[in-house]
Amino acid sequence: MTDSVRLSPHSALLIGSPNCGKTLLFNRLTGLQHRVANFPGITVEIASGKLSGHTGVTLYDYPGTYSLQAISGEERVAVEQFEAALEDPELGIVLCVIDVTRLEKSLYFALQVIRECGRAGKPVLILANMIDVLEDHHISMDLEALSRDMGATVLGISARTGRGLDHLDDAIRQQLSTPQCPSDHQEPDILLRGNAHQLARNYGPKGDVLLRTQNRMDAFFLHTGFGGIAFFVIMYLLFQSIFTWSAPAMDAVESGLGWLSDLVVPMLAPKLVQDFAADALFSGIGAFLVFVPQIFVLTFVIGLLEDSGYMARAALICHRPLRFFGLTGKSFIPMLSGVACAIPGIYAARSIDSPRRRFLTYMAVPLMPCSARLPVYTLLIAAFIPGTTALGGLVGYQGLAMFLVYIFGMVCGLLVTAMVSRFSAQQEPDLPFVLEMPAYRLPTLVPLLRKSWRRCQHFITKAGGIIIAVTAVIWVLGYFPNYGADLGASWLGQIGHLVEPVFAPLGLDWRYGVAVMSSFLAREVFVGTLGVMFGIEGAEENMVPLVAQIQNSDLGLASGVALLVFFAVALMCVSTLAVLSKEAGSNRLAIRMFLAYSGMAYVLALIAYQVVTFLGG
Amino acid sequence: MTVSLWTLTRGQCGAIDGFDEALQDEYRIRLMELGFHPGEQVSCLQAPALGAPKVYRVANTVFSLDDQIAAHVRVRPQTHD
Repeated sequence: MTDSVRLSPHSALLIGSPNCGKTLLFNRLTGLQHRVANFPGITVEIASGKLSGHTGVTLYDYPGTYSLQAISGEERVAVEQFEAALEDPELGIVLCVIDVTRLEKSLYFALQVIRECGRAGKPVLILANMIDVLEDHHISMDLEALSRDMGATVLGISARTGRGLDHLDDAIRQQLSTPQCPSDHQEPDILLRGNAHQLARNYGPKGDVLLRTQNRMDAFFLHTGFGGIAFFVIMYLLFQSIFTWSAPAMDAVESGLGWLSDLVVPMLAPKLVQDFAADALFSGIGAFLVFVPQIFVLTFVIGLLEDSGYMARAALICHRPLRFFGLTGKSFIPMLSGVACAIPGIYAARSIDSPRRRFLTYMAVPLMPCSARLPVYTLLIAAFIPGTTALGGLVGYQGLAMFLVYIFGMVCGLLVTAMVSRFSAQQEPDLPFVLEMPAYRLPTLVPLLRKSWRRCQHFITKAGGIIIAVTAVIWVLGYFPNYGADLGASWLGQIGHLVEPVFAPLGLDWRYGVAVMSSFLAREVFVGTLGVMFGIEGAEENMVPLVAQIQNSDLGLASGVALLVFFAVALMCVSTLAVLSKEAGSNRLAIRMFLAYSGMAYVLALIAYQVVTFLGG
Repeated sequence: MTVSLWTLTRGQCGAIDGFDEALQDEYRIRLMELGFHPGEQVSCLQAPALGAPKVYRVANTVFSLDDQIAAHVRVRPQTHD
């Protein structure tokens, strides 16, 4: 049982089935001023905000569900929250939204809500949303008769245009001052299902006039040829947006922090504080703030796809191939995002309603070849793979190696989920793939921008603390006891010597061990640390001297390949682990994944080392 | 004669006859909550390639169902005159 939300005095509850326009209505009714409560362990958001025009009344936006008979963990939490709210004396009114263009799927839930409100003695208003769509098609609906048959007031509104919201204001005011509760008839669910079916037949729009545009667009977007091309173009644009649209902002964050560091650090004293501020504080903050623009852009673009209705089509297209690996069509976007960065990818997994498949997606995302791996791959490939070509210059060995290591990560991700899905015990039955195909709509930008910003705030406040703390610990280990004079003689260096036997089977000495351990902060730190170990300043910006140093050392091709394999699999990123533990609501999952992927990375690297050595590398 | 909903091809319609016994109760109930009642008309709007979930219209709502669930819904196909 999840802890229930404590309602503020004079509360109103907004509920409805998924895709009924509830969130848009919530934003209208609260003037977009709302905050979000996040339940650990489960992706259920309950937003709250002050109800405009009603002093002291707080409106709560509860998660959408098709029925009070829950079939998933998510729905169970939503239903439990609703039932707990009904018992709360602070609850003044329930607002239940139905989609008049798709009446039947909303009506059964609405009838259940009316029944429960009658039992709990709470007034309820049924808000018939999207009435403007009916009017646009010259379809009328007898809302008075529907009110009579449902046993609760039904008001025609449009969350999109604001139509009918003045009447809603009056109705809320009236119900709060003199509540009129539905009568307490305890009809069983089976009877309500029949009633909903009959009411939908009597009052719902007839014919397919509302679905014609959607059908025409689906015929294109789900077409074997055109649909496939459209899918790849849209995904390419999404991928590009993560890299290109966010790049200037990421550069700005990096430069801004660099400028601030240059300004502040010289003013600090003593040197210990100065070094801590420069290397731990600013570097630590920079290591996670730099992801904020990427998270913003990704959330915004995914929001555009969701609001437009395309996301449901993309999930459908990808479902079959991903199902083979234990995933769902909805796993595709998180995995694609993971190719840029695992953090927005893990956030994007929120849209997966099946907890098991969301868990499997969490497992796949960190194995996607993220951009932080790129500097490591670039360094190792430049150092170990010859820059020559084959087939008359068509195939460059370095490019081929980069391609193979990227594919290797993706294949590992899919194989891991395939194995875990087949061999792990299933705690609750998986949800079947039943997806409502929403109408195509123009997205509303302001709520999307706010949602993107909220996601960034969540990242900064939830993951930031953990990242800074771990950064500080690594800094202390690398700085003491000789005050940063020699990383090799630091505690981190001593640990490096201590764990050298672990890295020796891969042909690596303690310097590589320290670089691997420090890359736990972020993978790209490997390059900088290795630069420090070899006495080269600024290795991140210019790798050429470091490449030469590595080539001149005794390290062989087999060790280089082993390192590539290790970094393709290991979950060496504290930011990803912090976000993973917050999103999954489980530190244990993040720790287990870190240990499992580290172990798997080591074993695979060892196999790669042995194979390449055997082949004469 | 009844066939499974999954066998309907694009453009084909049918009337829902019932559900396989193999379908868990909670999923049968959920399908009915969504409008898949026995006797209700259902039409296959899209049948994308490579075994992707098909798109069905029931009442005034469009749903996508994969073979794992659509195979459990029995329908009486209707022939076009």
